[in-house]
Amino acid sequence: MPWRHILDWFRNLFGGRKTFSLGLYGNVNTGKSTLANRISKDWTGEEMSAVSEIPHETRTVIKKEKVRIKAGGRELTMNILDMPGIATKVDYRDFVPYGMSVSAAQQRAKEATKGVIEAIKWLEHVDVALVVMDSCEDPYTQVNLTILGNLEARDIPVIIVANKIDKKDSKPDKIKAAFPQHEVVEISALKGDNIHRLYEVLGRKAR
Amino acid sequence: MSVRIEFLSANVLAPMSSDEKVEFILKSVRKDTILVLEESLSREEEKTLITQTMKSITADFPGIEVSTLGPGYDDLRSRLIKLLGGRVGGLTVVGPSNLVKQVKRDPDKIRLLAGK
Repeated sequence: MPWRHILDWFRNLFGGRKTFSLGLYGNVNTGKSTLANRISKDWTGEEMSAVSEIPHETRTVIKKEKVRIKAGGRELTMNILDMPGIATKVDYRDFVPYGMSVSAAQQRAKEATKGVIEAIKWLEHVDVALVVMDSCEDPYTQVNLTILGNLEARDIPVIIVANKIDKKDSKPDKIKAAFPQHEVVEISALKGDNIHRLYEVLGRKAR
Repeated sequence: MSVRIEFLSANVLAPMSSDEKVEFILKSVRKDTILVLEESLSREEEKTLITQTMKSITADFPGIEVSTLGPGYDDLRSRLIKLLGGRVGGLTVVGPSNLVKQVKRDPDKIRLLAGK
């Protein structure tokens, strides 16, 4: 949208944006919180989110404010927003095999639905978005398409993160082929592989 | 086991507002119906559909599976066509997740696996 560019131009004219918000979006269990922890630990020395193999571990937006990074020859200050995974279904029965009681699973499902709504609300309020995809999974999910479509409609800079490249069945090329209009950075948030490349791209994309 | 599938012409949805469209979809899907719509939803409608689905979730209705093909109505060309009363086309398949086991987009084809 042109008004966004005009606003950016004014911000640059008067000394630039002080802090930008970085939203981590994606399907459930793509490694958003692992990546948020990696970024936070690299620049502040401490992690910010809990991670779990049980889906919907992040059920509210987790914020880490005023994180200063050096990227692409620039110094940037950002607020990292680790979003709950977006889903079109939340079934409490999916949590029970992980050893949860039915009532605990139902409570988790209730919180997860609220988390999805909160993440969707935030789509309009981030300055840069990392759309995190599991490179072992099919990228053509409706959630990915809806997230990208809404970010594109608001002209919000997007970096697609093809995560989990340390896994044997990782196919990041499928993500590149699916979304050729976006820059795709292949990383392993867990191992830290290629994370410096993500910071370079972030330095370029952050307005 | 029988599965109810409704194929809807774009004319059925044309007079509806976005909110009415989402309400209509969810009402049908909650009655164990798989809908095939002769249009793609806009990105805003997709977002509203997910939000309203989350608000509707119960033990008996754990959510939806949805897939859309088409332009998504948000580009200028599509908006102009719509404004002039034309149709941009596309396709939307949506059903209850306890009935639709899997929806895969391929990317110009939707494959759906349903069953109880």
